[in-house]
Amino acid sequence: MQKPSTLAMILAGSRVDKLDVLTYYRPKSAVPFGGFARVIDFALSNLLHSGIEQVAILSQYRSYSLINHIGTGAAWDMIGRNRGISLLPPFKDNSDNVAHADWYRGSADAVYKNLDFVKYHQPEEILILSGDHIYKMDYRDMIVYHHQKDADLTIAFVQVDKAKAHRFGVAAIDSEDGETGGRLTNYWEKPEDPETNWASLTVLIFKPEVLYQALRENQKTVSFEFGRDIIPQLMAQGKKVYGFKYTGYWGYTGTTEEYWQASMDLLGDNPSIDMQAWGLRTNMEHRGISDAQPVLIREGAEIHNSLVYNGCIVEGTVRNSILFPGVQVEKGAVIEDSVLFFNNHIGANCKLNKVIMDVNSVLGEGVCAGPEIASEANLVTLIGWNNHIPDNMCIGEGATIYPNITSEQWGQVKRIAAEEVLR
Amino acid sequence: MSAKKETLVLLLAGGVGSRLNILVQSRAKPAVPFAGHYRIIDFSLSNVMNSGLTKVGVLTQYKPLSLMRHLGMGEAWDFTGRSRGLKILPPHTGFQDSDWYKGTADAVRQNIDFLEKNPADEVVLLSGDHIYNMDFHAMIEYHRFKKADVTIGMMVVPMSEIYQFGAGVIDDQNRIIGWEEKPEHPKTNLASMGIYVFDYKYLLDSLYRDKAEVDFGMHILPRAIDNDNVFAYPFYGYWRDVGTIQSYWEANMDVIRHDSSISPAGWGIRTNIEADGRPADRPPARFTNDAKVSCSMISAGCVIRGTVVNSVLAPGVVVEEGAIVRDSILFADCSVGKNSIMDLTICDKRVKILADSVVGSGTNHDFPNIKQPKHLYTGISLVGKEAIIPSGVSIGRNCIINSHTQESAFSTKEIADGETL
Repeated sequence: MQKPSTLAMILAGSRVDKLDVLTYYRPKSAVPFGGFARVIDFALSNLLHSGIEQVAILSQYRSYSLINHIGTGAAWDMIGRNRGISLLPPFKDNSDNVAHADWYRGSADAVYKNLDFVKYHQPEEILILSGDHIYKMDYRDMIVYHHQKDADLTIAFVQVDKAKAHRFGVAAIDSEDGETGGRLTNYWEKPEDPETNWASLTVLIFKPEVLYQALRENQKTVSFEFGRDIIPQLMAQGKKVYGFKYTGYWGYTGTTEEYWQASMDLLGDNPSIDMQAWGLRTNMEHRGISDAQPVLIREGAEIHNSLVYNGCIVEGTVRNSILFPGVQVEKGAVIEDSVLFFNNHIGANCKLNKVIMDVNSVLGEGVCAGPEIASEANLVTLIGWNNHIPDNMCIGEGATIYPNITSEQWGQVKRIAAEEVLR
Repeated sequence: MSAKKETLVLLLAGGVGSRLNILVQSRAKPAVPFAGHYRIIDFSLSNVMNSGLTKVGVLTQYKPLSLMRHLGMGEAWDFTGRSRGLKILPPHTGFQDSDWYKGTADAVRQNIDFLEKNPADEVVLLSGDHIYNMDFHAMIEYHRFKKADVTIGMMVVPMSEIYQFGAGVIDDQNRIIGWEEKPEHPKTNLASMGIYVFDYKYLLDSLYRDKAEVDFGMHILPRAIDNDNVFAYPFYGYWRDVGTIQSYWEANMDVIRHDSSISPAGWGIRTNIEADGRPADRPPARFTNDAKVSCSMISAGCVIRGTVVNSVLAPGVVVEEGAIVRDSILFADCSVGKNSIMDLTICDKRVKILADSVVGSGTNHDFPNIKQPKHLYTGISLVGKEAIIPSGVSIGRNCIINSHTQESAFSTKEIADGETL
């Protein structure tokens, strides 16, 4: 049997402040997405379909939800004689040197601290990717290109709206291989005034020795990120850094607005994100979603342009929305342009417009969140988990409700103004 | 590990269920899909799990492949672990050839070594054919309290239906003092649900006694009632045999009724949705802008572009624009083409209805199927596994389109009421 040659390392440790209450209790990669899955499932399914069989996940922020989700890795077919998925949390050892053991100080530091693990696998190439993005990619094409060019580092890039490019790592790529890719002539991390619109997907393939040396050198500095430090360092050293041009859909879920937009990309007649066609896999044991009974749709219910997963019971109206397992929508309630996570209960006559609602909350009767139904909402209204919102409460557009607001607190609130934060 | 004796469960899952017609052409009755992504046997197995019983033998015989695939190692019902287990007991040749099970008692007798290897205080004998929710733990407590040799789960059914069941006459202590197996002129309306708790030793003795006693209802029980302590355990609640097309259809419709007394989720029914070797992680059901759905059950992976009313859809069903699905049950991965109509129809897996066709046309609900008048006489039409219904065809009431029927088999555009293809 042939030994797997690629080692994949998924960066899944980060929290991302801009996702607000959605990442208070889970890392961004474990945020629910698509009505039944988690964001990291896209990277894991890509690995599965690319035949990459050795995977490590670097995780440190609130990893409980992520560990639960990964389970044995069986959902992505990653258990077997030569297949495996390893979670690599930060650790202590008997040295006082934080460079050896301690919290991860950044993505590059996380990989550096696990170099023993990496070298044990004797990979021919090391694939480093973010667990935070929504896309479908066969990494093998990129690996082939990496070897063709005998590159030290190959990075995947996608063209984005130039106005948004400042949020990403941006590169100038020469036309060496036309539409496939080319050599990087310049790289800027989150430039204020980007010169190109080629944004990094945070999919990197390293020649192992190059990575080892770069990480060792990086340890002498004070910043430990692949995008900010390692790539510029290799560029400065004149290493062979290539850009691989990706042209498919790329969903970036760095803010609640982007998360909402990516969710809306699941809808429509020809959705940009087609989970069925992409072969998206998730762990059906997580949150017991395999035990949920099929959706029950009652008399008088209306569902248009929406995704609704098993375990939901719908008596009201659902439009342009995504309902995760166990959501109940009572009579007269209207859900529009919203994403409702697991096990939310929406009382009779509630009106929700552009709301993202984390798990396990109950809305009493007649609760309104967001602007009036059918009117254009600009801002996402966010409801954190484990809330019991009293009858007839009004929550203004763009407001944020923190998780676990007590009933005493709710007792003192009459209404929540637009963009107010209730904590 | 403690040496505590436990209750052993034997599940009789060999039933042919022939009145279910083409739905049991390639699978045993317990493996027939029900309520979207479940199968009939899930109800018995989940009851066993939810009663805290952990050792189960499943006796199979008739077309067991689909059933065995569904059961797997029993993980879905939490039967894997050091002291837990689900074991499939297929028929096996003994000293004589042709040792197919001759009856329920014979089936258990042929697996007597399994019984002996798993000593217990009681043995619960069940059939895998019924839709219900029951706590066997309470029944076992009752059995112990009564110091019974056999306890039989029984419920009151309409007098007109009792001819299908074993019927018992009880005294004021619930002791069974009379028994009639499938009586034509019943003296009682108390029916056996096919659920028995046996004292372990009593069961072994009964089975060793006389090999000619091949059936529980016909032989073992009448003898036990005459000579030993047999009690009725009364059951009140939803219980259906779903042994006929009509009762199968009605039970599915019960699931989607608003005031329904049957609830797979409420009852804690589990299933193994990894069956058929297909990945179970289908995406959520997709409803397009034009979808109209009411009073229905829709499983993951369905795509609804048309209208669905009063229907139960298993995973992966596609209903195209302008199509109407009414009062129907569609198994996994069926597709209903543009502007086609399905009315009062049960479709087995992967049936393809092309555009502009009608299944269940006209109002002759009472005109029975000509070949199988006892199976189809209420208006329900059946379409077998992987059949293809060509475009522009109209199929009447009480029709049967056999499995794997191809487009070329349709010589006319019209299939009259009661026809079989």
